[in-house]
Amino acid sequence: MSARPDSPPIAITDTEKNAVRIVAHEAHAARLGIFNRQSLSDARALVPDLECHARDRDADHELLGSLAAWCERYTPLVALDGDDSLFMDVTGCTHLFGGEESFIADIETRLAAQGFSVRTCLADTAGAAWAMARHGTGRIIARDQHAQAISALPLAALRLDTNLVTSLGRVGFKTVGCIADLPRAPLAARFGTHLLDRLDQASGRQDEIISPLMPVAELAAEKRFADPIVHEDDIKRGIALLAGNIIALLERRDLGVRTCEVKLFRVDGEVQSLSVHAANPLRDADRIAALFHERLARLHTDLDAGFGFDIMRLNILQADPFNGGQHDLVEHKDAGDSYAALIDRLGARLGTDRVLQFSFADTHIPERRFALVPISGRDGKTDPDQVQLPGPARTPTRPLILLERPEPIDAIAQVPDSPPSRFRWRKVLYEIARSEGPERIACEWWRDGRASLSRDYFSVEDTQGYRFWLFRHGLYERETTRPDWYMHGLFS
Amino acid sequence: MAAIARTRNADAAKSLVQDLCPGPGDSAHETGAAFDIPALDQHLNGGMCSNALHEVRCSLARDFAGAAGFALGLAAQFGKRDANRILWVIDPAASVDSGLPFPDGLSEHGIDPKRMIFVRPITLQDALWSADQAAKCGDLSAVIFQVKGNPKPFDMTATRRLMLRARESGVLVCVLRQSGAEEASAAATRWHVEIMPSEPGPDFEHGPGQARHVHTLERNRHGRTGQWTLTWNPEKRAFEDGISKTQTTHTVRRIHAPADRPDRPAEMGQVVDLERAS
Repeated sequence: MSARPDSPPIAITDTEKNAVRIVAHEAHAARLGIFNRQSLSDARALVPDLECHARDRDADHELLGSLAAWCERYTPLVALDGDDSLFMDVTGCTHLFGGEESFIADIETRLAAQGFSVRTCLADTAGAAWAMARHGTGRIIARDQHAQAISALPLAALRLDTNLVTSLGRVGFKTVGCIADLPRAPLAARFGTHLLDRLDQASGRQDEIISPLMPVAELAAEKRFADPIVHEDDIKRGIALLAGNIIALLERRDLGVRTCEVKLFRVDGEVQSLSVHAANPLRDADRIAALFHERLARLHTDLDAGFGFDIMRLNILQADPFNGGQHDLVEHKDAGDSYAALIDRLGARLGTDRVLQFSFADTHIPERRFALVPISGRDGKTDPDQVQLPGPARTPTRPLILLERPEPIDAIAQVPDSPPSRFRWRKVLYEIARSEGPERIACEWWRDGRASLSRDYFSVEDTQGYRFWLFRHGLYERETTRPDWYMHGLFS
Repeated sequence: MAAIARTRNADAAKSLVQDLCPGPGDSAHETGAAFDIPALDQHLNGGMCSNALHEVRCSLARDFAGAAGFALGLAAQFGKRDANRILWVIDPAASVDSGLPFPDGLSEHGIDPKRMIFVRPITLQDALWSADQAAKCGDLSAVIFQVKGNPKPFDMTATRRLMLRARESGVLVCVLRQSGAEEASAAATRWHVEIMPSEPGPDFEHGPGQARHVHTLERNRHGRTGQWTLTWNPEKRAFEDGISKTQTTHTVRRIHAPADRPDRPAEMGQVVDLERAS
């Protein structure tokens, strides 16, 4: 946070063990005697007009998450750690930035420009980097030097909890170097294996696996711009370029794209991500680019370019073996007009959850019998051939249109099981001329419980000819004394 | 106008001109299929053209199932032959209270529900765009665009564009207008669907029989309008003449009872035109 010398300093407070303490403060507040873990009443006594805000952990976490997303410009392996730190596995990435020195400098400069104060450290192991960033001064620990580098650091640098650090301190162990060369078995017996695990992780005797926030893409293509780009046309041109680059990689592996995303890294730290999905494996740069065009067309108002994007990356998140691809020589058909292309285009623009088809379930309850599911999401998980559908019938037993949920109607009917003689639905009164039924559909007691009611369905026709599918909810006197009536569907 | 800007060659431009001023030379573009109902086919110059835009409308929400049945019937009987998928675009305003097609009902209606695709966009603009994209796709048999009322963005230009797309791709495009009024459009035909009491079947005469509807041809590019009673035969996937031998064929448009009040009072007398005193 940049200092605001003419206004009172800002501090963030949190409640720890029933005491309100300061957990973060502006840099220049230290001159006035404010420090972390100071109680708020002490701080107020020193600086009466201290501006205090309660800590918002969710907002902190969200900010750290967006920072992690931004850090993917350096490496795909970024992991969150605790409330305020990030791990990045940069193996094989630093040479792209001209060496470790300039890599660290680049991170620090860019984050400082965004208004963060950061402490960074690059080391052979995650544990050593954490220790040095928190408790040391070095920014880069040379290869194989990490054990010596952390030996002078306090034991808290090993990511141990405070109780363990205190009990180690009581027997005289203050620094990492004190325990590094001790016999391991007595140490484990007295302080637990966790201590040794942390020591081994820091010294590299034990591998530590960081869990990255995002799945690592199977393939990726990246373009960096010297000048940040802002215009939609430039973005489209960039996507087309990246799509062209990635085709060669796909061909070498004999793959086609199913899901891919474009990440746009804004200079001020925002990351915008657009993803598209193809129903069939795709290996055509123009069609991939066209899908992103639809995606952009849908949200070009929501896509805030700010001061521009300086990195654009195309990630292939899912790729399947590419089959076919032989074109018809005689009849040239434009692939862009095919059914698969249409579904992809609609899905890219509207979202794949808006392009739907039926999936079926083997049940008699009408509203549970089918669902509308995204076309691209099904992938043959439910086999529609298992469910028996009725054949064509001149007098149908099932309505053509089913209401989204049964609507209550006021019906006059004889007890116990006659069809209604008249009813009112959506304020209109209908006199029934013909009816057929009941068709009893019992409840699914294994899902709804034993107390749930049966339905007696009637297909009725009123005097004008309108035909409805109604049901009485509950059997008279056996399940309920006042059965309700519902409208459930309309026949054509 | 986007429709003109997108026509690529002279043929398309010519067809646009013909679309604007329909004439006798128009039918060269059309692939028609007959209803096999002589009176109807005569009105339509031989049958429904499958590569065109048609409109089916109903005036009341409760007529929607009948109109949907007619639109699906048209799609099944006159849709593109070498394709079998039907794409249904739902206008967001229409999806509030109209319900959804029920797979078992579709199957009994003679439509394979596994071959249906539904598009449910959030805005009407997206719905129009989806219908436009779908009408371009030659792998579909028919596109049904369900719309509620007469929304302003779905105007003459939009319908004319759909008509052009249908003609280029050979897909039957059907606008299914729920509770809408008559409106000028570029559609080749516009039908108004009304319900009619069913004819009881031979095996169960107290139950509902086979559905019949009164179809009014309100707009016809070949000029003549008319009214027919049709039934849908799901086994043959074809419309049949629905006039029974026993009942009268006269159909009158009913005045509907008020929805939320008691029925209207009976007429109290006759209004006569009196001569002015002065």
